[in-house]
Amino acid sequence: MRAGRRTDFSHPRLPANVNAGRILRLACWLTLLLATPGLAAERSPRGSPKGTDLEALREKNRVLEEEIKLASRPRVYWLLDLSEGIIAIKARGVELHRFPILAWRLAGEGSVTEGFRLRARPWVARPKATSGDEAAQELIELEDMPAEYELTFDPPITLFVAPSAHEGPWLWARSRLREWWTRVAAWTRSVVAPGKKTGGLRLHLTLSREAAQSLAWSSVEGMPLLIKDAQ
Amino acid sequence: MPLGGNSWVKKNAWAAALVFAGVLPIAGLEGGSPREPEVRAPGIARKADFRLEDLRLREAALKRQLAALAPTGRYIVVDTARSRLYVRRRGEVLLEAVASTGSGTILEDPDRPGTQWVFDTPRGEFTIQSKFMNPVWVKPKWAFLEEGLAVPADPAQRVEAGMLGDYALGFGNGYFIHGTLYTRLLGKNVTHGCVRLNDDDLRNVYRFADIGTPLMIF
Repeated sequence: MRAGRRTDFSHPRLPANVNAGRILRLACWLTLLLATPGLAAERSPRGSPKGTDLEALREKNRVLEEEIKLASRPRVYWLLDLSEGIIAIKARGVELHRFPILAWRLAGEGSVTEGFRLRARPWVARPKATSGDEAAQELIELEDMPAEYELTFDPPITLFVAPSAHEGPWLWARSRLREWWTRVAAWTRSVVAPGKKTGGLRLHLTLSREAAQSLAWSSVEGMPLLIKDAQ
Repeated sequence: MPLGGNSWVKKNAWAAALVFAGVLPIAGLEGGSPREPEVRAPGIARKADFRLEDLRLREAALKRQLAALAPTGRYIVVDTARSRLYVRRRGEVLLEAVASTGSGTILEDPDRPGTQWVFDTPRGEFTIQSKFMNPVWVKPKWAFLEEGLAVPADPAQRVEAGMLGDYALGFGNGYFIHGTLYTRLLGKNVTHGCVRLNDDDLRNVYRFADIGTPLMIF
Protein backbone atom coordinates (compact mmCIF):
# COMPACT_ATOMS: atom_id res chain seq x y z
CA MET A 1 0.00 0.00 0.00
CA ARG A 2 1.37 3.39 -0.94
CA ALA A 3 1.75 6.05 1.68
CA GLY A 4 -1.14 8.46 2.03
CA ARG A 5 -3.31 6.75 -0.59
CA ARG A 6 -6.90 6.22 0.37
CA THR A 7 -9.07 4.07 -1.75
CA ASP A 8 -12.21 3.74 0.33
CA PHE A 9 -13.66 6.97 1.67
CA SER A 10 -16.59 5.37 3.41
CA HIS A 11 -14.27 3.25 5.55
CA PRO A 12 -11.24 5.44 6.08
CA ARG A 13 -8.06 3.70 7.17
CA LEU A 14 -4.98 5.05 8.80
CA PRO A 15 -2.34 6.19 6.35
CA ALA A 16 0.28 3.51 5.92
CA ASN A 17 3.04 5.73 7.27
CA VAL A 18 1.30 5.76 10.66
CA ASN A 19 2.15 2.50 12.29
CA ALA A 20 -1.03 1.15 13.90
CA GLY A 21 1.02 -1.18 16.08
CA ARG A 22 3.01 1.72 17.42
CA ILE A 23 -0.18 3.59 18.26
CA LEU A 24 -1.58 0.58 20.06
CA ARG A 25 1.63 0.12 21.99
CA LEU A 26 1.56 3.77 22.99
CA ALA A 27 -2.07 3.44 24.05
CA CYS A 28 -1.20 0.37 26.13
CA TRP A 29 1.64 2.20 27.82
CA LEU A 30 -0.57 5.18 28.56
CA THR A 31 -3.28 2.93 29.96
CA LEU A 32 -0.75 1.16 32.12
CA LEU A 33 0.78 4.41 33.25
CA LEU A 34 -2.46 6.02 34.27
CA ALA A 35 -4.17 2.96 35.64
CA THR A 36 -1.28 1.69 37.72
CA PRO A 37 -2.13 3.62 40.88
CA GLY A 38 -5.34 1.65 40.96
CA LEU A 39 -8.34 3.02 39.14
CA ALA A 40 -10.47 0.19 40.34
CA ALA A 41 -9.70 0.88 43.97
CA GLU A 42 -10.88 4.48 44.12
CA ARG A 43 -13.54 4.89 46.76
CA SER A 44 -16.20 7.48 46.98
CA PRO A 45 -17.06 8.52 50.52
CA ARG A 46 -20.50 6.95 50.39
CA GLY A 47 -19.06 3.71 49.06
CA SER A 48 -16.57 3.36 51.88
CA PRO A 49 -16.49 -0.02 53.51
CA LYS A 50 -18.06 -0.01 56.95
CA GLY A 51 -16.60 -2.15 59.67
CA THR A 52 -18.18 -3.04 62.93
CA ASP A 53 -19.60 -0.48 65.34
CA LEU A 54 -16.80 -1.34 67.71
CA GLU A 55 -14.09 -0.48 65.21
CA ALA A 56 -15.88 2.67 64.12
CA LEU A 57 -16.24 3.84 67.70
CA ARG A 58 -12.61 3.07 68.49
CA GLU A 59 -11.57 5.14 65.49
CA LYS A 60 -13.93 7.98 66.46
CA ASN A 61 -12.50 8.06 69.96
CA ARG A 62 -8.91 7.92 68.73
CA VAL A 63 -9.55 10.93 66.48
CA LEU A 64 -11.35 12.80 69.25
CA GLU A 65 -8.41 12.20 71.60
CA GLU A 66 -5.97 13.48 68.99
CA GLU A 67 -8.18 16.43 68.16
CA ILE A 68 -8.41 17.47 71.80
CA LYS A 69 -4.60 17.66 71.84
CA LEU A 70 -4.61 19.87 68.75
CA ALA A 71 -7.56 22.01 69.80
CA SER A 72 -6.12 22.76 73.20
CA ARG A 73 -3.54 25.08 71.61
CA PRO A 74 -4.15 28.14 69.41
CA ARG A 75 -3.76 26.84 65.88
CA VAL A 76 -5.70 25.98 62.77
CA TYR A 77 -5.67 22.35 61.64
CA TRP A 78 -7.17 20.06 59.03
CA LEU A 79 -9.37 17.10 59.87
CA LEU A 80 -9.66 14.69 56.98
CA ASP A 81 -12.66 12.45 57.60
CA LEU A 82 -12.58 9.58 55.12
CA SER A 83 -15.74 7.97 56.46
CA GLU A 84 -17.81 11.13 56.02
CA GLY A 85 -15.91 12.26 52.94
CA ILE A 86 -15.01 15.74 54.11
CA ILE A 87 -11.98 17.88 54.84
CA ALA A 88 -12.64 20.34 57.63
CA ILE A 89 -10.55 23.36 58.53
CA LYS A 90 -10.81 23.64 62.30
CA ALA A 91 -9.52 25.55 65.29
CA ARG A 92 -10.39 24.93 68.96
CA GLY A 93 -12.66 22.11 67.80
CA VAL A 94 -14.75 24.62 65.83
CA GLU A 95 -15.31 23.93 62.17
CA LEU A 96 -14.33 26.99 60.13
CA HIS A 97 -14.89 25.57 56.67
CA ARG A 98 -15.39 22.23 54.96
CA PHE A 99 -14.84 20.73 51.51
CA PRO A 100 -16.43 17.54 50.25
CA ILE A 101 -14.14 14.75 49.03
CA LEU A 102 -15.43 13.34 45.74
CA ALA A 103 -13.28 10.21 45.88
CA TRP A 104 -10.21 8.98 47.68
CA ARG A 105 -7.72 6.15 47.60
CA LEU A 106 -5.20 5.17 50.24
CA ALA A 107 -2.11 3.13 49.43
CA GLY A 108 1.42 2.53 50.62
CA GLU A 109 2.95 1.64 53.93
CA GLY A 110 2.19 3.29 57.23
CA SER A 111 -0.65 4.19 59.49
CA VAL A 112 -3.07 7.10 59.54
CA THR A 113 -3.31 6.94 63.30
CA GLU A 114 -0.64 9.55 63.79
CA GLY A 115 -0.71 13.31 63.75
CA PHE A 116 0.88 14.72 60.62
CA ARG A 117 2.53 18.07 59.94
CA LEU A 118 2.73 19.75 56.55
CA ARG A 119 6.30 20.14 55.31
CA ALA A 120 5.66 22.90 52.77
CA ARG A 121 2.70 24.57 51.13
CA PRO A 122 2.27 24.21 47.37
CA TRP A 123 4.37 26.58 45.37
CA VAL A 124 2.69 29.61 43.85
CA ALA A 125 4.23 32.36 41.75
CA ARG A 126 4.14 35.56 43.80
CA PRO A 127 3.98 38.79 41.82
CA LYS A 128 6.17 41.67 42.89
CA ALA A 129 4.49 44.63 44.51
CA THR A 130 4.65 47.77 42.44
CA SER A 131 3.95 51.36 43.28
CA GLY A 132 0.79 53.09 42.19
CA ASP A 133 -2.86 52.11 42.00
CA GLU A 134 -3.68 49.06 44.15
CA ALA A 135 -6.45 47.98 41.80
CA ALA A 136 -4.01 47.73 38.91
CA GLN A 137 -1.59 45.53 40.82
CA GLU A 138 -1.13 41.90 40.05
CA LEU A 139 -2.47 39.89 42.99
CA ILE A 140 -2.76 36.31 44.08
CA GLU A 141 -6.32 35.11 44.12
CA LEU A 142 -7.92 31.75 44.75
CA GLU A 143 -7.95 31.02 41.00
CA ASP A 144 -4.17 31.38 40.94
CA MET A 145 -3.71 28.51 43.36
CA PRO A 146 -2.86 25.10 41.89
CA ALA A 147 -5.69 22.59 41.54
CA GLU A 148 -3.34 19.63 41.13
CA TYR A 149 -0.49 19.23 43.59
CA GLU A 150 0.96 17.08 46.31
CA LEU A 151 1.28 17.85 50.00
CA THR A 152 3.99 16.06 51.93
CA PHE A 153 3.77 15.58 55.66
CA ASP A 154 5.84 14.30 58.57
CA PRO A 155 5.67 11.42 59.43
CA PRO A 156 5.63 10.54 55.75
CA ILE A 157 2.32 10.69 54.02
CA THR A 158 1.71 12.32 50.66
CA LEU A 159 -1.62 13.77 49.68
CA PHE A 160 -2.13 13.82 45.92
CA VAL A 161 -4.84 16.39 45.28
CA ALA A 162 -6.52 16.72 41.90
CA PRO A 163 -9.88 17.65 40.43
CA SER A 164 -12.03 14.90 38.93
CA ALA A 165 -11.27 13.56 35.46
CA HIS A 166 -14.51 15.17 34.32
CA GLU A 167 -13.59 18.63 35.64
CA GLY A 168 -9.93 18.65 34.68
CA PRO A 169 -8.85 15.65 32.56
CA TRP A 170 -5.33 16.96 32.04
CA LEU A 171 -4.81 17.72 35.73
CA TRP A 172 -6.26 14.35 36.68
CA ALA A 173 -3.86 12.58 34.31
CA ARG A 174 -0.95 14.66 35.61
CA SER A 175 -1.82 13.67 39.16
CA ARG A 176 -1.80 9.98 38.18
CA LEU A 177 1.54 10.47 36.53
CA ARG A 178 2.86 12.25 39.59
CA GLU A 179 1.73 9.43 41.87
CA TRP A 180 3.12 6.81 39.52
CA TRP A 181 6.45 8.60 39.52
CA THR A 182 6.46 8.75 43.32
CA ARG A 183 5.84 5.02 43.46
CA VAL A 184 8.63 4.31 40.99
CA ALA A 185 11.00 6.51 42.98
CA ALA A 186 10.03 4.76 46.23
CA TRP A 187 10.46 1.35 44.62
CA THR A 188 13.87 2.35 43.24
CA ARG A 189 14.94 3.56 46.67
CA SER A 190 13.81 0.30 48.23
CA VAL A 191 15.88 -1.66 45.68
CA VAL A 192 18.98 0.52 46.03
CA ALA A 193 18.80 0.76 49.82
CA PRO A 194 16.64 -2.13 51.06
CA GLY A 195 16.93 -1.17 54.73
CA LYS A 196 15.61 2.35 54.28
CA LYS A 197 11.97 3.31 54.63
CA THR A 198 9.94 3.92 51.48
CA GLY A 199 7.78 6.95 50.79
CA GLY A 200 5.11 6.07 53.37
CA LEU A 201 1.40 6.42 52.78
CA ARG A 202 -0.15 7.89 49.65
CA LEU A 203 -3.61 9.38 49.83
CA HIS A 204 -5.13 10.40 46.54
CA LEU A 205 -7.94 12.94 46.96
CA THR A 206 -10.33 13.93 44.22
CA LEU A 207 -11.89 17.29 45.00
CA SER A 208 -13.73 19.90 43.02
CA ARG A 209 -11.35 22.36 41.41
CA GLU A 210 -12.48 25.13 43.79
CA ALA A 211 -12.03 22.88 46.84
CA ALA A 212 -8.57 21.81 45.67
CA GLN A 213 -7.55 25.44 45.26
CA SER A 214 -9.08 26.39 48.61
CA LEU A 215 -7.18 23.60 50.33
CA ALA A 216 -3.92 24.83 48.81
CA TRP A 217 -4.80 28.38 49.83
CA SER A 218 -5.45 27.41 53.44
CA SER A 219 -2.22 25.45 53.80
CA VAL A 220 0.48 26.75 56.10
CA GLU A 221 3.88 25.24 56.70
CA GLY A 222 3.74 22.99 59.76
CA MET A 223 -0.05 22.78 59.66
CA PRO A 224 -1.31 19.74 61.56
CA LEU A 225 -3.41 17.12 59.81
CA LEU A 226 -5.56 14.51 61.46
CA ILE A 227 -7.03 11.65 59.45
CA LYS A 228 -10.11 9.73 60.45
CA ASP A 229 -10.00 6.40 58.71
CA ALA A 230 -13.07 4.87 57.07
CA GLN A 231 -14.16 1.85 59.07
CA MET B 1 -1.54 -2.30 7.02
CA PRO B 2 -4.74 -4.10 7.90
CA LEU B 3 -5.39 -4.62 11.57
CA GLY B 4 -5.65 -8.16 12.85
CA GLY B 5 -2.81 -9.57 10.78
CA ASN B 6 -1.08 -12.55 12.35
CA SER B 7 2.35 -10.93 12.51
CA TRP B 8 0.84 -7.80 13.99
CA VAL B 9 -0.78 -9.76 16.79
CA LYS B 10 2.55 -11.42 17.60
CA LYS B 11 4.31 -8.06 17.58
CA ASN B 12 1.88 -6.47 19.98
CA ALA B 13 0.98 -9.39 22.16
CA TRP B 14 3.50 -8.30 24.79
CA ALA B 15 1.83 -4.95 25.12
CA ALA B 16 -1.60 -6.49 25.72
CA ALA B 17 -0.07 -8.98 28.16
CA LEU B 18 1.58 -6.11 30.00
CA VAL B 19 -1.74 -4.37 30.44
CA PHE B 20 -3.48 -7.48 31.74
CA ALA B 21 -0.56 -8.60 33.88
CA GLY B 22 0.23 -5.14 35.16
CA VAL B 23 -2.96 -3.18 35.56
CA LEU B 24 -5.31 -5.73 36.96
CA PRO B 25 -3.28 -7.12 39.84
CA ILE B 26 -1.94 -3.69 40.81
CA ALA B 27 -5.38 -2.18 40.66
CA GLY B 28 -6.63 -4.91 42.93
CA LEU B 29 -3.80 -4.46 45.38
CA GLU B 30 -3.95 -0.72 45.64
CA GLY B 31 -7.10 -0.15 47.57
CA GLY B 32 -6.35 -2.72 50.20
CA SER B 33 -8.94 -5.25 51.06
CA PRO B 34 -11.79 -4.19 53.28
CA ARG B 35 -11.36 -5.50 56.77
CA GLU B 36 -12.81 -8.84 57.62
CA PRO B 37 -16.18 -8.56 59.37
CA GLU B 38 -15.90 -9.39 63.03
CA VAL B 39 -17.20 -12.84 63.86
CA ARG B 40 -18.67 -13.08 67.32
CA ALA B 41 -19.23 -16.24 69.22
CA PRO B 42 -22.40 -16.12 71.36
CA GLY B 43 -20.42 -15.99 74.60
CA ILE B 44 -18.32 -13.06 73.46
CA ALA B 45 -21.30 -11.03 72.27
CA ARG B 46 -22.22 -9.75 75.70
CA LYS B 47 -18.60 -8.74 76.40
CA ALA B 48 -18.42 -6.89 73.07
CA ASP B 49 -21.68 -5.09 73.79
CA PHE B 50 -20.25 -4.08 77.14
CA ARG B 51 -17.15 -2.73 75.35
CA LEU B 52 -19.43 -0.92 72.92
CA GLU B 53 -21.20 0.80 75.79
CA ASP B 54 -17.84 1.79 77.29
CA LEU B 55 -16.73 3.24 74.00
CA ARG B 56 -19.98 5.19 73.63
CA LEU B 57 -19.54 6.68 77.09
CA ARG B 58 -15.94 7.51 76.27
CA GLU B 59 -17.04 9.13 73.00
CA ALA B 60 -19.59 11.31 74.77
CA ALA B 61 -16.98 12.37 77.35
CA LEU B 62 -14.44 13.21 74.65
CA LYS B 63 -17.02 15.21 72.69
CA ARG B 64 -17.80 17.22 75.81
CA GLN B 65 -14.09 17.77 76.39
CA LEU B 66 -13.62 19.01 72.82
CA ALA B 67 -16.68 21.25 72.98
CA ALA B 68 -15.28 22.82 76.15
CA LEU B 69 -12.25 24.02 74.18
CA ALA B 70 -14.40 26.07 71.77
CA PRO B 71 -14.73 29.80 72.49
CA THR B 72 -17.59 30.43 74.87
CA GLY B 73 -18.24 33.99 73.77
CA ARG B 74 -18.00 35.79 70.46
CA TYR B 75 -15.14 35.04 68.10
CA ILE B 76 -14.07 36.30 64.71
CA VAL B 77 -13.36 34.10 61.68
CA VAL B 78 -11.64 35.44 58.56
CA ASP B 79 -11.86 33.39 55.37
CA THR B 80 -9.05 34.86 53.27
CA ALA B 81 -9.83 32.70 50.23
CA ARG B 82 -13.34 34.11 49.92
CA SER B 83 -12.57 37.52 51.50
CA ARG B 84 -15.15 37.23 54.26
CA LEU B 85 -15.14 38.08 57.94
CA TYR B 86 -17.63 36.50 60.33
CA VAL B 87 -18.45 37.25 63.93
CA ARG B 88 -19.80 34.08 65.51
CA ARG B 89 -21.07 32.96 68.86
CA ARG B 90 -21.24 29.17 69.19
CA GLY B 91 -22.90 28.06 65.96
CA GLU B 92 -24.60 31.38 65.32
CA VAL B 93 -23.29 33.92 62.77
CA LEU B 94 -23.79 37.40 64.22
CA LEU B 95 -22.16 39.27 61.36
CA GLU B 96 -20.94 38.46 57.87
CA ALA B 97 -18.84 41.09 56.14
CA VAL B 98 -16.97 41.44 52.86
CA ALA B 99 -13.31 42.01 53.64
CA SER B 100 -10.01 42.58 51.91
CA THR B 101 -6.97 40.56 52.93
CA GLY B 102 -3.32 40.15 51.96
CA SER B 103 -2.32 40.36 48.31
CA GLY B 104 0.36 37.69 48.55
CA THR B 105 2.77 39.92 46.65
CA ILE B 106 6.42 40.44 47.58
CA LEU B 107 8.58 43.53 47.85
CA GLU B 108 12.36 43.42 47.89
CA ASP B 109 14.24 45.61 50.34
CA PRO B 110 16.78 47.52 48.24
CA ASP B 111 18.87 48.33 51.33
CA ARG B 112 19.19 44.69 52.34
CA PRO B 113 19.55 42.42 49.32
CA GLY B 114 17.94 39.03 49.80
CA THR B 115 15.35 40.28 52.26
CA GLN B 116 11.78 40.85 51.25
CA TRP B 117 8.31 41.58 52.59
CA VAL B 118 5.58 39.05 51.83
CA PHE B 119 2.17 40.68 51.99
CA ASP B 120 0.13 37.76 53.32
CA THR B 121 -2.53 37.87 55.98
CA PRO B 122 -1.18 35.51 58.65
CA ARG B 123 -3.15 32.27 59.07
CA GLY B 124 -3.81 30.73 62.43
CA GLU B 125 -5.47 31.56 65.70
CA PHE B 126 -4.94 34.96 67.28
CA THR B 127 -6.66 37.20 69.82
CA ILE B 128 -7.67 40.83 69.66
CA GLN B 129 -4.87 42.56 71.52
CA SER B 130 -5.75 46.23 71.12
CA LYS B 131 -8.66 48.49 70.14
CA PHE B 132 -8.34 52.04 68.87
CA MET B 133 -10.74 54.78 67.87
CA ASN B 134 -9.68 57.23 65.15
CA PRO B 135 -6.41 55.39 64.56
CA VAL B 136 -3.54 56.94 62.66
CA TRP B 137 -1.26 54.98 60.39
CA VAL B 138 2.43 55.04 61.19
CA LYS B 139 3.70 54.21 57.74
CA PRO B 140 6.26 51.42 57.72
CA LYS B 141 9.33 51.40 55.52
CA TRP B 142 7.73 49.28 52.81
CA ALA B 143 4.95 51.84 52.31
CA PHE B 144 7.51 54.45 51.27
CA LEU B 145 9.47 52.00 49.14
CA GLU B 146 6.30 50.93 47.40
CA GLU B 147 5.51 54.55 46.56
CA GLY B 148 9.04 55.14 45.37
CA LEU B 149 9.67 57.69 48.14
CA ALA B 150 12.57 58.13 50.51
CA VAL B 151 11.98 56.94 54.05
CA PRO B 152 11.78 60.10 56.23
CA ALA B 153 14.18 60.41 59.12
CA ASP B 154 11.61 62.24 61.22
CA PRO B 155 9.09 59.74 62.70
CA ALA B 156 6.39 62.45 62.70
CA GLN B 157 6.48 62.41 58.91
CA ARG B 158 5.45 58.78 58.93
CA VAL B 159 2.09 59.46 60.55
CA GLU B 160 -0.94 59.55 58.28
CA ALA B 161 -4.44 60.17 59.64
CA GLY B 162 -7.72 59.01 58.12
CA MET B 163 -6.31 56.02 56.22
CA LEU B 164 -7.51 53.30 58.61
CA GLY B 165 -11.11 54.38 59.13
CA ASP B 166 -12.74 55.12 62.47
CA TYR B 167 -11.56 52.04 64.35
CA ALA B 168 -8.70 49.54 64.40
CA LEU B 169 -8.35 46.22 66.20
CA GLY B 170 -4.82 44.89 66.53
CA PHE B 171 -4.10 41.16 66.53
CA GLY B 172 -0.31 41.18 66.86
CA ASN B 173 2.85 41.83 64.86
CA GLY B 174 1.48 45.08 63.46
CA TYR B 175 -1.59 43.48 61.85
CA PHE B 176 -4.98 45.15 62.28
CA ILE B 177 -8.60 44.87 61.31
CA HIS B 178 -9.34 48.40 60.10
CA GLY B 179 -11.32 50.52 57.66
CA THR B 180 -10.44 51.69 54.18
CA LEU B 181 -10.82 54.58 51.78
CA TYR B 182 -10.85 52.10 48.88
CA THR B 183 -14.19 50.40 49.46
CA ARG B 184 -14.41 49.39 45.79
CA LEU B 185 -11.56 46.96 46.47
CA LEU B 186 -13.38 45.13 49.26
CA GLY B 187 -13.71 41.46 48.40
CA LYS B 188 -10.28 41.44 46.74
CA ASN B 189 -6.90 40.42 48.10
CA VAL B 190 -5.19 43.79 47.98
CA THR B 191 -3.84 44.56 51.45
CA HIS B 192 -0.38 44.26 52.93
CA GLY B 193 -1.65 41.70 55.44
CA CYS B 194 -4.24 43.64 57.43
CA VAL B 195 -7.97 42.91 57.18
CA ARG B 196 -10.02 45.78 55.79
CA LEU B 197 -13.76 46.33 56.22
CA ASN B 198 -16.26 49.00 55.27
CA ASP B 199 -17.26 51.58 57.91
CA ASP B 200 -20.51 49.92 59.04
CA ASP B 201 -19.04 46.44 59.40
CA LEU B 202 -15.98 47.83 61.14
CA ARG B 203 -18.18 49.64 63.67
CA ASN B 204 -20.06 46.40 64.41
CA VAL B 205 -16.90 44.33 64.73
CA TYR B 206 -15.47 46.97 67.09
CA ARG B 207 -18.64 46.75 69.15
CA PHE B 208 -18.74 42.93 69.21
CA ALA B 209 -15.06 42.31 69.93
CA ASP B 210 -13.24 42.82 73.20
CA ILE B 211 -9.58 42.51 74.07
CA GLY B 212 -8.98 38.75 74.14
CA THR B 213 -11.68 37.89 71.59
CA PRO B 214 -10.38 34.92 69.57
CA LEU B 215 -9.64 35.53 65.89
CA MET B 216 -9.27 32.55 63.56
CA ILE B 217 -7.82 33.19 60.12
CA PHE B 218 -7.62 30.59 57.36
